[in-house]
Amino acid sequence: MSESLAVQAARQSTSITRVNEVLDAFVQRDVTGEIVTSVRRFPAREAQWAEFPAWLNADLRAAYIAKNINRLYSNQAEAAEIVHAGKNAVIVTPTASGKTLCYNLPVLNSILEDVDTRALYLFPTKALAQDQLAELHDLNQRLGDRVGVFTYDGDTPADARKAIREKCHIALTNPDMLHTGILPHHTRWTRLFENLRYVVIDELHTYRGVFGSHLCNVLRRLRRVAQFYGRDPQFICCSATIANPGELASRLLESDVKVLTANGAPSAEKTFVFYNPPVVNRALGIRRSYVGESSRVAQEFLKRDLQTMVFSNSRLQSEVLLTYLQQANPSQPGKPQAVRGYRGGYLPNERREIERGLREGKIRGVVTTSALELGIDVGSLDTVVMAGYPGTIASTWQRAGRAGRRSGSSCAVLVASSAPLDQFIVRNPDYFFGNTPEHAFIQPDNLEILVNHLKCAAFELPIKPEEKFGGVDVSDLCTRLAEAGFLHRAGENFHWTQEAYPANTISLRSVTSDNFIIIDITGEPQVIGEVDFTSALVFVHEKAIYIHGGQQHHVEHLDFKERKAYVKRVDVDYYTDAVRYTQVRVLEIAEQTRAAETHPEIPAMRAHGDVLVRSQVVGFKKIKFFTNESIGAGELQLPENEMHTTSYWITLERPLLESLPFSISERQSGMFGLLYALSSVATLLLMCDQRDLGTAISERTLSSDEEGEAFNVVRMQDIASARAKEFFEPNLYLFDAYPGGIGFSEPLFRAHDLLIHKTRELISSCACDQGCPSCVGPAGDLTLHAKEAALAILNRLIASKSLAENFA
Amino acid sequence: MASPADRFSRLAALKPTRFVPVSPRPLRAPDEEDAFARLTGAGLARNRFGEHLALRHWHATPEFVAPSRAALELLSRGRDEALSRRTRDALEDPEKWLFLDTETTGLAGGTGTYAFLIGIAWWDAGGLQLEQFFMRDFSEEYSVLEELSLRLAERPVLVTFNGKSFDWPLLENRFTMTRSIPKPRLAAHLDLLHPSRALWKMRLGSVRLVDLERHVLDAPRLGWNRDDDIASAMIPQYYFDYVRGGPAEPLVGVARHNQMDLRGLAALYGKIEAMLNSQSVETEEPNSVDLFGLSRYLQRRGETDRAHQTCARALDAGLPAEFRPRASRELALMAKRRGDHDQAVALWHELVNDPEDGLHACEQLAIYYERRAKNIPRAQEFAKLGIAKINRLRSSLRDSYISSRVVKTEETFLHRLARLTRAHGND
Repeated sequence: MSESLAVQAARQSTSITRVNEVLDAFVQRDVTGEIVTSVRRFPAREAQWAEFPAWLNADLRAAYIAKNINRLYSNQAEAAEIVHAGKNAVIVTPTASGKTLCYNLPVLNSILEDVDTRALYLFPTKALAQDQLAELHDLNQRLGDRVGVFTYDGDTPADARKAIREKCHIALTNPDMLHTGILPHHTRWTRLFENLRYVVIDELHTYRGVFGSHLCNVLRRLRRVAQFYGRDPQFICCSATIANPGELASRLLESDVKVLTANGAPSAEKTFVFYNPPVVNRALGIRRSYVGESSRVAQEFLKRDLQTMVFSNSRLQSEVLLTYLQQANPSQPGKPQAVRGYRGGYLPNERREIERGLREGKIRGVVTTSALELGIDVGSLDTVVMAGYPGTIASTWQRAGRAGRRSGSSCAVLVASSAPLDQFIVRNPDYFFGNTPEHAFIQPDNLEILVNHLKCAAFELPIKPEEKFGGVDVSDLCTRLAEAGFLHRAGENFHWTQEAYPANTISLRSVTSDNFIIIDITGEPQVIGEVDFTSALVFVHEKAIYIHGGQQHHVEHLDFKERKAYVKRVDVDYYTDAVRYTQVRVLEIAEQTRAAETHPEIPAMRAHGDVLVRSQVVGFKKIKFFTNESIGAGELQLPENEMHTTSYWITLERPLLESLPFSISERQSGMFGLLYALSSVATLLLMCDQRDLGTAISERTLSSDEEGEAFNVVRMQDIASARAKEFFEPNLYLFDAYPGGIGFSEPLFRAHDLLIHKTRELISSCACDQGCPSCVGPAGDLTLHAKEAALAILNRLIASKSLAENFA
Repeated sequence: MASPADRFSRLAALKPTRFVPVSPRPLRAPDEEDAFARLTGAGLARNRFGEHLALRHWHATPEFVAPSRAALELLSRGRDEALSRRTRDALEDPEKWLFLDTETTGLAGGTGTYAFLIGIAWWDAGGLQLEQFFMRDFSEEYSVLEELSLRLAERPVLVTFNGKSFDWPLLENRFTMTRSIPKPRLAAHLDLLHPSRALWKMRLGSVRLVDLERHVLDAPRLGWNRDDDIASAMIPQYYFDYVRGGPAEPLVGVARHNQMDLRGLAALYGKIEAMLNSQSVETEEPNSVDLFGLSRYLQRRGETDRAHQTCARALDAGLPAEFRPRASRELALMAKRRGDHDQAVALWHELVNDPEDGLHACEQLAIYYERRAKNIPRAQEFAKLGIAKINRLRSSLRDSYISSRVVKTEETFLHRLARLTRAHGND
């Protein structure tokens, strides 16, 4: 239904007023100034225009014009030219800046000019591929259906697959399907590979850590197969704003990549608010529940008839939020619900209905998980409320981008939970709003990962010994694989000699395939997930509380031999934390320098390199939510685990320790608190999870006694006393929690100064007395004054004239 | 200077007017260490891609059975497609036929599965000539594929068992991977798995070739038995071990297994031919369940008259009780379609009390009495009977969930009853 401009104008101005009312209300309630920690306004921005390129096919031009696209944004025109010139490119844009046109335009143009042209589009999820399909179908209709566009993934029905392979100009797929469905069957795709001109990789920044390391190898196999058919395709990538898009792209593609960061798209005026729930227990550092606060914030908007989207980080929380908001906004009799929930798991018709309802404005509020973060056209809403920090700055902007009426005001509110990352972000808004510190790193030559992909490569095409696959000696690896019975050398080349199909057993999300399967036995036994071996020891030991999909599960039994964990759904008020004894030994130092290069007299060093991590889970603690009291504990008999990986570490030399005005146990506790805080800040910089990094403190030079020490001798009580055993010159390690390392150590080494400074900010700005989970860890785990000790250590690590005097 | 062979090969005048099959080159004696060759008597073959081993045998059985046009028509027809002239010509010439069975390094398919032993066979001198190509190592694959493509050029009608889903797609992959040997074009591909299922699955349950050999073909009488046959699950491992320098003995078993599969395949064709051929004179009456299977196959292929006769014959031949209602039902439907309503009605009356097909019978009778016989009371009677059956069904089920199809049938009955009552005022 259309409205007159006057009515539209009236409506817009009132929505701006209403948003401002809400913000004023918050600010007024915030007497201490601690709740609303930031209100940033971003003025509206005009579009920067450019004309269609001269070489654009006339039919394609007409098709765009028919869609009301008469010219391009400046960045779209620039990207189109770069792609047309045959270069690999990575287009870095915030959301809603028309990035899909950047690649669709040149690709469709090529297809129209040369009907044999083929392209492969990679999306991280099927849902995103589906969205793109809709967009391409729309264009295709206007082009007389000349272009064959199809999704090809696990859901594609078997009888459709053959037809798709023949008729497809653009195949939309995802990395898993490429890995198991297309590459090992490349003879079925000769038409595609013989004419493969473009490979488009969207959401490039998601390919980091383990997943990114795998994808790099999948792309190596792709390029290898394309070469077999005589092609060297051009790569077009799109990434959200991260600090190192060019570096990531060139590492993933192993070639030069042009980086395009300009943004010519218009944007509406936006306000971004950081909201920190008020403290209710200062001593323990406990705040009001962020889920409750988020629903209150959302309700303020909803009751003023502002269309609002609420994001939560788990299904369980979504449900809590939805219940509250539906109760607060009961529907009129006979009319549908004004506030709806949305999840990836809903049936397609339901999802379409909700998407439509949002676009048309009939649905006033929606509570969702990350399912609505990307792609999916739901129009633009008035406000977005995020219950909890989404985990990365990039994701936060993507979610906030859902609010943005072209001709009105929009507002995004981030409500922080008490997790350290959340607290850090809301209390350091400059960190968030300044140049992003988030980096994406990969380690594709991790041998565990690479060798698995080498097996897949051998299945796809026999391996020639002089081939290059990554930066490793392929012929040596092949010989080893042959000795292990996977390959056999016949003549020159290595052939696959197994019945099984390697790609099926290789998950792109874990480093080794030695995984534990998690089986829910509450009702009918059902497999609900998988964890890798090392994580299993820590997170699914017997009696652990394991969270999956926001639902708590109690681990009933762990079957080691069969690699199975049996769990039952529960609803309890505590969580468990494994007590681990970890010892790290340096195998090879890659680089080592003084901790502060400008002040070499500071008695500390920093380094990174290869390490051997021995760890054993010896017990666990039960910890109550919110109060963090320990309400129980247990011993466990689990085997020791050894892992070779990479690590970054800080060495605290003797003079530094002795200069600390604290008792030995306070110093030791301070070190553990410091490491806890360092690890939180590191996960921020690396865009990874807490689980991706391991922490440990070990003596810099381990005595032979200590090395040989059998872990199972160490009992729970000894852990506390192990801490009391004084470190002489400790190394504080942040190691990659994956065998072989995943590429975090060197970047952390380089970012040492940033890490130290930000950690100090995190701890010093924390309002708790003795420590809390948001800074140095729960007070119950630490001695008195541990927080101060941690700060003292940090102060000594930071170069400054007055401190240097301490050590002169 | 170009050799005489090159110069002549380009001369149009020297091109033969009709196709002259290239006889396979004679084999050489292989090297001493070649255990497989020694044990099997295989010879060394060579072509432009290198060497491989080849085994040749001729067997008197199974004997040649000429394919009839009728059978071929049934086997190769799709839903509604007519056979092209070229396909028909090729099919009807048994000299263009090639039976094929492969032994592979796995069942996974994809680009990493190899066919290390390719067995082919064709009719020759009243019996079956077998040729098996074996690659001693992966480097001999192209040579094997080249030889296969030459045979297929001469005999482009492929006959396999499950070849459409497995063997041929695998071989296509292998040809594509060579980038130098073009994929052979087949004139036709008869996969005997499908007709076997139609004819024998109801009686036998499983239609693996070994089961068919035992229950349908009587292989021992034909000349081979599976007593010491290797376990096919072991085949890939035998090959991998061999290729790494292990023993050749197990592969001898594999070659023998492949030979039996090929002979079984050819014999199977003979049996299918006999069943499908309308003119065949059988010494023994075929099994009644097989006849029923045949009638359904014929019906699906559009041979309605024969289907009808065969179905009736199956019932007369003493079709076991578990199949009778289904057969009666099909016969009735066939009769109805042929316009033989009396027979149809008689069969439906018989079926009315059957627990499975009674409802269907009521439905058909209600339609018949309303539309054809114009006997309204009887039409109403059967509509009511149908509704009563559905109600009984509903109350007997634990959660009173009945399938949507039954619900639809119920609605149809109710509409019919309502219409009849309205129009004719009866109760």
